Amino acid sequence: MSASARARPILMGLLVPVLLIGIWQAIAATHLVAPYILPSPALVLARFRGELDGGTFGGDVLASLSRALAGFAIGAPAGVGFGLLLGLSRVAGRLFGPIFLAYRQVALFAWVPLLSMWFGGGEAGKVAFIAMTAFAPATVNSWRGAAAIPAPYRELSRALTLRRLDHLLLVALPSALPGILTGLRTALIYAWLATVGAELFLDIAPGLGGRLNEGRDKFEVDLMIVALTVLATLGLAFGQLGAAAERRSIPWRNR
Amino acid sequence: MKTPVRFALLGLVLGTALAAVPALADPVTIRIGYPGVGADNRPFASGDIVAVAHAGHFVEDEFANDPDIKIEWTFFRGAGPALNESLAASHLDIAAGLGDLPSIVGRANGLKTRFILTDKVRDTIYLAVRPNSGIHRVEDLADHRLSEFKGTNLQLAADKVLAAHGLSERNARFINLDTGSALAALNAGEIDGTFGSIELLGLRDRGIVELPYSTKAEAASFGRHSATFVTEAFDQAHPELVQRIVDAFVKAARFGADEAHRSAVFDLWAKSGYPPQAFAEDFDNERLANRISPLIDAYVIARYRDQAAHVRQYGLIRKDIDVDGWFEPKYLEAALKAQNLENFWPQYDAEGHKVTIGDVEQTRSAAR
Amino acid sequence: MSRLATALPVPILLFGLWWLSAAQGWLPEQLLPAPATVWDALAETAASGDLQADILISLQRVGEGFAVGAVAGLIFGGALGLSRPVRDLFDPLFLLLAQVPPLAWIPLVILVVGIDEAMKVTVIAWASFVPVVLGVAQGIRDVPEPLRELGRALTFDPWDLVSRIVFPAAVPAIFTGLREGLANAWQTLVAAELFASSEGLGYLISLGRQLFQLDLVLAMVLVLGIVGLTLNGALALVERRLLRWQARAA
Repeated sequence: MSASARARPILMGLLVPVLLIGIWQAIAATHLVAPYILPSPALVLARFRGELDGGTFGGDVLASLSRALAGFAIGAPAGVGFGLLLGLSRVAGRLFGPIFLAYRQVALFAWVPLLSMWFGGGEAGKVAFIAMTAFAPATVNSWRGAAAIPAPYRELSRALTLRRLDHLLLVALPSALPGILTGLRTALIYAWLATVGAELFLDIAPGLGGRLNEGRDKFEVDLMIVALTVLATLGLAFGQLGAAAERRSIPWRNR
Repeated sequence: MKTPVRFALLGLVLGTALAAVPALADPVTIRIGYPGVGADNRPFASGDIVAVAHAGHFVEDEFANDPDIKIEWTFFRGAGPALNESLAASHLDIAAGLGDLPSIVGRANGLKTRFILTDKVRDTIYLAVRPNSGIHRVEDLADHRLSEFKGTNLQLAADKVLAAHGLSERNARFINLDTGSALAALNAGEIDGTFGSIELLGLRDRGIVELPYSTKAEAASFGRHSATFVTEAFDQAHPELVQRIVDAFVKAARFGADEAHRSAVFDLWAKSGYPPQAFAEDFDNERLANRISPLIDAYVIARYRDQAAHVRQYGLIRKDIDVDGWFEPKYLEAALKAQNLENFWPQYDAEGHKVTIGDVEQTRSAAR
Repeated sequence: MSRLATALPVPILLFGLWWLSAAQGWLPEQLLPAPATVWDALAETAASGDLQADILISLQRVGEGFAVGAVAGLIFGGALGLSRPVRDLFDPLFLLLAQVPPLAWIPLVILVVGIDEAMKVTVIAWASFVPVVLGVAQGIRDVPEPLRELGRALTFDPWDLVSRIVFPAAVPAIFTGLREGLANAWQTLVAAELFASSEGLGYLISLGRQLFQLDLVLAMVLVLGIVGLTLNGALALVERRLLRWQARAA
């Protein structure tokens, strides 16, 4: 592809956002709407810079990130382990699978009051909720990956009279790896989503969700837009990171 | 033969001393929770004994010479219900200034606490509506949308006011919102009325709300009450610390009830982000001691019995609770005696009539 | 039949543990209410009619929001999948906006449309919109080239190409998107009702939390599970019917 043909999609992708920002700036400049309801892009940018310089924004982002990672570190491995168990053992799958699927029917945020009553509304409660949210996608995908080990692989193991452990380590796990990685990637995204939710519903503490609430209480839309933008960017980063990690880890699979 | 015996004795003494040292140097963190936040979610209280104690560092001063004892305050935006969750998860030792409804709900659901002193009584609540909404009396709220901060003592006081004026779930819609969200919602026209206290006065001054009604003129039973509790676990483990905490709160109460300190008290409360004038207006024609009293007298006991019955009646709890076994006045009595304050506050009977006059009523405002 | 037989032991065991723990008082009652109290809470809300009314309101909100979001998603996703220029123009912005969890939009939406039905339907519609768009766009893009060439070889005009080849081939992906959209819608409904509501299943749960009634919370969790199962089952049924028809027509 020529350079201009490659540049074209990028330029087109930027066109709509730039247009929208332009319209936004125009509306704000006419002062038709009060600045506190619709702050101009310039105001939002100024707020962003202000938060970085003097505000607690760095601390908020760090707090949210650390909660997300803490919950992920607890929930995702547990989910992978459980999912592998369900997938590798027909018996376990038939015994525990149905109740797990039933558990998945309950909307995630319905567990927030329960967890806050058990663990309090502080860090423990938030991390517990995030861990719980990361658990399900990790389980589902690892289960799928483990259950989908092709029959020929199993037959090969039998033909080679591999021990259970060897079969597990040399054949089953590598074959389930794509599923596991998808599970981890999805769990990370869910953990981030749960972090915002936990911060919105539980006790005040440093964090992006807290700033979002603050913006709403004080009618500071510029703060809300800044928080949402940072949220979106971090979410995107998590997604890309996860996808890249997934690609690097299984180079032998052409995806 | 003497030397081994001497060594053995030395070893015994040293061993006992070493065993005692950890007990002496055991670091204890006293975790105090308060069900509320100040303006802009500031971690400060106002309007009660705990606010005076916190802003005036009375508790910290009490333990200033104990390097192993740390004081940790937590302010809950989710008010009483959020504080109850922390209690249930064993994250708090002292629930300071917990309102009557959430403390009753907690007790009904098995939270094990001891009522060690009162924090505030006869607190006024105001009805806030948008300007020019046409709502001038509580009755006018029929068929409108109200916010209620469910589970807090504000809900109980509001429910009483509404019931007294013929309103209930059947002729008005109640939306569960916390204080900050309620004000934002009222401002934006999403709800038509909300109840609250001094945080509304400043908004009225800025023309954002109107306050057509307050419980100032009503019977004392329409006000809010709150108290300070200690968990049974902490009480059993560190009764001596509980006594000292109560001592500190009583000192703060002594300061906060004295008319000579009136403006100083308002300044302390102003750390919560609300201007001193708001408190001056809230306490207009009212002595500080009318609300700032730590006594567990017949009035307080009757009030809590009454509230518990109301709470049961409104269906907010599902079983009757024993209120009498809850009170633990021994710490308060010891503190009052030690500080010579046994006759400082007036005592009231169950109906709210004064039965003994208190010394505090002799105090005069510094300005007069 | 044996499926059911293996599915039951674990739930029964868990229930037994729960019942035993409550009876023996292993955990304080405010942390784990007895099954009987949870059942009572359920029966009480059902008897007063509140439960049915709240379920209906929640379903209504999901229905409205999902309908709006799914239809819009089908259209926008179709445009993204079929038209290169549209994709180049709107894809990046859409993907960026899609990163923000629907829940995070709620505070901003509240400022714009208030806390009432409009807020809930808006947020639910957006939550349904995103997966549907992704499913439709992906499904259309994944239609194998040979199929498209076949259409071109048969000199199908663009409308026929889309309606007789592309769309039917994309149906499985579209349904995946719809299923995810419904799941998203349901999740967002509960979150929105927890945020600010005066009725609905989420409201009942938050009321339970405010009044420290863990039995009410648990009862509502159970109800949510059952309603979720039913919704999913219904959608799966529709999907199977449609695919069976499609297979027959092929």
